[in-house]
Amino acid sequence: MTQYAFSLDVTRCSGCSACIVACQDQNDLETIAFRLVTKHEAGAYPEAHFAYLSMACQHCGDAPCIVVCPTRAISRGESDGAVLVDRNLCIGCHSCELACPFGAPQFLDDGKMAKCDLCHVRQDHGLTPACVRICPTRALDCGPVEELSAKKAKAASVRILEALVHSIRPEGA
Amino acid sequence: MRNGRFVILGNGGAALSAARAARLSGHRGEIHLISDTAEPAFNPMLSPYYFKGRIPWDGCYPFGADVYRDDDIVCRFGEPVVALDARRRQITLGDGQTLVYDRCLIATGAAPVVPPIPGLRGAARAFTLRTAASARKLEEQMRTARKAVVLGVSLVGMKMAEILVKRGVRVILLGRGDQLLPRGAHPSAAAILRRYIEGHGVDVRLGCTLEAMEEAGDEVMCHLSGGVIEPADIVLVGTGVRPNLDFVDREQVKVEQAVVTDECMRTSADDLYAAGDASQALNLITGRHDWLGTWGSGCYQGRAAGQHMAGRNAVYPGTLPQHISPFFDWTYAHIGDVQPRGGDVRHVAFGDPEEGGYALLAVQDGVITGANLINCTHLAGRLRSAILRRSLCDTRLIRDGDSVVPSADDILDGCRLQGVRRSTLRRRCGPPTQESPHVRTRWRT
Repeated sequence: MTQYAFSLDVTRCSGCSACIVACQDQNDLETIAFRLVTKHEAGAYPEAHFAYLSMACQHCGDAPCIVVCPTRAISRGESDGAVLVDRNLCIGCHSCELACPFGAPQFLDDGKMAKCDLCHVRQDHGLTPACVRICPTRALDCGPVEELSAKKAKAASVRILEALVHSIRPEGA
Repeated sequence: MRNGRFVILGNGGAALSAARAARLSGHRGEIHLISDTAEPAFNPMLSPYYFKGRIPWDGCYPFGADVYRDDDIVCRFGEPVVALDARRRQITLGDGQTLVYDRCLIATGAAPVVPPIPGLRGAARAFTLRTAASARKLEEQMRTARKAVVLGVSLVGMKMAEILVKRGVRVILLGRGDQLLPRGAHPSAAAILRRYIEGHGVDVRLGCTLEAMEEAGDEVMCHLSGGVIEPADIVLVGTGVRPNLDFVDREQVKVEQAVVTDECMRTSADDLYAAGDASQALNLITGRHDWLGTWGSGCYQGRAAGQHMAGRNAVYPGTLPQHISPFFDWTYAHIGDVQPRGGDVRHVAFGDPEEGGYALLAVQDGVITGANLINCTHLAGRLRSAILRRSLCDTRLIRDGDSVVPSADDILDGCRLQGVRRSTLRRRCGPPTQESPHVRTRWRT
């Protein structure tokens, strides 16, 4: 099994919430979404900082929702390691909602839980998840965890090198 | 330990989680599982959902019948454990057989307590709800019931009242104290829940006890406080549970409310572990060891015990009082301690259950220690995680003493809870006895 996951580059996320709309469109949701965008503000003028965070189910390595589910309705997908819910087994007891530190489980009108499944329908057809595809700043990405880590490490290395180069030869020098 | 003999006492979530964890951790020796019933593991929290028609009967056995074969478990079903000799590492079964273990796990769960009320114990029309057998008996009786008395205003009592009312049974819910859910709910939240279930037809009588019960033909006469006599054809007892530990020698194994364990689920005796409702765990809010059994924490504890028994370095860090449950069309959650003792304790209540949700937060010296949520349980997981880390701390709440009303916005800021239109939130702070304000708000945008 290859564990797939999302990654988010917070320096790129502009908080446009297009990922939420794409998620609603893909999953036929009206009032809820499997993705949440939060704004983090800190400091005050002139030292104010802010960042946006787009989060869906993290498909945790040791997912608490899988352990606490009383009917064992939640399990890990064999192909991509996604945490999946079998809605036929779900009884709507909300145990997963209390266990999840990210607020990922959502409850539809039938009282049963539904959540991000890494868009496995799209992935099965060679497409990226709807939220990743729509992201206009390319902040969101999805893939095997190792690949995402490697990409992040590479981007970080490039930034460190650039910073070094600039510190040795200041711009305009 | 890869090849020793593990004996697991009990057949529930903790027991089977332990067996699975031991196998996944590489244990190749025997695993014996001892149960007084001859059925697969039953999840007691599921029977209310079965009565509501949310799952078929088979669904109450979440591990299925094949798990014993898959994990190569030797089942010794149908005989209870009558004695455990931790020094000789030996257990004795009800039929006199003995079994020696290398490592043993006590995961015998808990059983309902029936209070010593004249005429109640052993009465044909009095029921408890815990095991599969008791659920079947109760179902049989519920088909013809018209009038019911439910003892106890804990979760079991409230859930049973809901099921009976939905089946057209007239229900009287009796509580000894002055509020519903005395173990986890703040009086303000409990009062809201009370009005709600009364609106659905449950006759809630608080400060009222069953003093005696006598059979009278097809019915029983329930003598309540104040000389009131109510006829009923079914009496449900939901007055609490007690761990099944009759076979444990208190001189060999340290037992308080339940078996005392360390963070690896080891008891005070060598090679003896305990998990689930039979054990008590560290309460991360108070720092004390409390008896806080839930299905989920039982599975976690069982897993940690199984891993540690198999030689892995597993730890169960502890838990906090928590519960989440649907009641009729509402969802209620309690997290942590809403009535902490000592220090500067304040309560913040805001919202309306029918208009986006009601939340009550307990703040002790600026740190949020507990919450009650009604219909806004989408916040429950994030709040729980923040309460556990004691990271919901906001000095603005106590900065100016009583002159400053703690702001819900501040708390939500600290928690980074979103999906909430903050500008429309109204809040109010008051002592614990005050009723919550019913302010019209919209939470979800």
